[in-house]
Amino acid sequence: MKQTLIRQSFLGPNSDAILDALTVSVVGTGGAGSHVLQQLSHVGVGNLLPIDPDKVEFLNLNRLVGATFRDAQKGQKKTTVSKRVANSINPDVRVRPHSKPWHEVMDVLRDADVIVGCLDTYSGRSQLEAFARRYLIPYLDVGMDVHSVGDHYVISGQVALSMPGDVCLQCMGIITPDDVAKEAYGAAGGRPQVVWPNGLLASAAVGMLIELVTPWFRSESLSLLRRYDGNRQTLEPDGWMSSNLRRECKHYTVAEVGDPHPFWISSKKKRVS
Amino acid sequence: MKLSLKITEALIREVRKDLDRAHPYAAERVGFVIGRCTRSRSGIIIFGSRYERVPDAGYVEDHSVGAMMNQRTITAAMQIAYSEKVPIFHVHTHFGKGKPKFSGIDLRENAKFVRAFINVCPEYPHGALVLSDTDMSGLCWLPGSSKPRRIDQFTVVGSCLRKTL
Repeated sequence: MKQTLIRQSFLGPNSDAILDALTVSVVGTGGAGSHVLQQLSHVGVGNLLPIDPDKVEFLNLNRLVGATFRDAQKGQKKTTVSKRVANSINPDVRVRPHSKPWHEVMDVLRDADVIVGCLDTYSGRSQLEAFARRYLIPYLDVGMDVHSVGDHYVISGQVALSMPGDVCLQCMGIITPDDVAKEAYGAAGGRPQVVWPNGLLASAAVGMLIELVTPWFRSESLSLLRRYDGNRQTLEPDGWMSSNLRRECKHYTVAEVGDPHPFWISSKKKRVS
Repeated sequence: MKLSLKITEALIREVRKDLDRAHPYAAERVGFVIGRCTRSRSGIIIFGSRYERVPDAGYVEDHSVGAMMNQRTITAAMQIAYSEKVPIFHVHTHFGKGKPKFSGIDLRENAKFVRAFINVCPEYPHGALVLSDTDMSGLCWLPGSSKPRRIDQFTVVGSCLRKTL
């Protein structure tokens, strides 16, 4: 066991090796994603793929872990901040940042063992989940929103694990075709985000990831969905999901995996062009 | 270039359950994992998409080997490769724990029937898998290559995520 990870040896006798061999991509490295990346560096995940095309702006500084005033002045890439934070915690972590939309680095993303999605559009989250399903990659979706209810605001969110072969975000009722069509997040100003719900949801996501990959305990079924009530300050497992062990996904099948075309020929053509 | 195989826990459970059944005369059972694949930045990933059982009548009664498929079985697998344009992986198990190894007979026979799959579907990789109760090993013939390559990494995706080298 690595000396730096000795306090988490209860995760399993070889948990350090398991985590070191793991490749996790965090798509969206802003509010929630920056917390996730920081924690993954702490727990000893060996390979990180932060993906985000955005640069640090002053309006990110209320929540972007590791970003400085100087980063906002310079318009630093968010993924550069991710790499800096990760390597300042653990110089051995192999961070390969990509400052591009994830659609442009899909070959990189296919190498991920787990994808953590911290995107702020329904269509983006839905597309990323579909990608993860096709390539048998567990997808952890972190979502938060602020709604106007009467004369006050309500913070809500969830962390959902979309596991190949199990129910998807649509089955869980987190993203509906209507959401994707309307693309309407809450009414508390453009893309409302604050640091503490992001941190809480990111911590839950990392906990679910650790449960998935290390042998520290085995519950009857994986935690797939935790709902956050930001006004009551509670994060709870979804009751229906926990009690319904005979779940079935109506939207994806495990037979629909891999590339649908002859990849060997198409890749040769690509090289020629 | 890394060569990996990914399969769901449910599918590998289905494979093991089938291979575990006693056969009227063959000493062991075999089957086929039908695959899909993709390229990634680090190499090639093969995915298990479904399992094809070999019926009881699909074996030759030959007590010198654990299991010998008859021509009808091989033709049926070739037909899947040809009509669906998919990778086909022959699979059998050695049971026990730890990393399994192909026997000399396995290696000899693999080379014969994998050649048949390559002939009808040359644009995809094909190969063979050998399981234990806890792990697996595999060989893969990539398009255009006459020699097999060892599969470098296996990932089982299910109630947990398990990667083995």
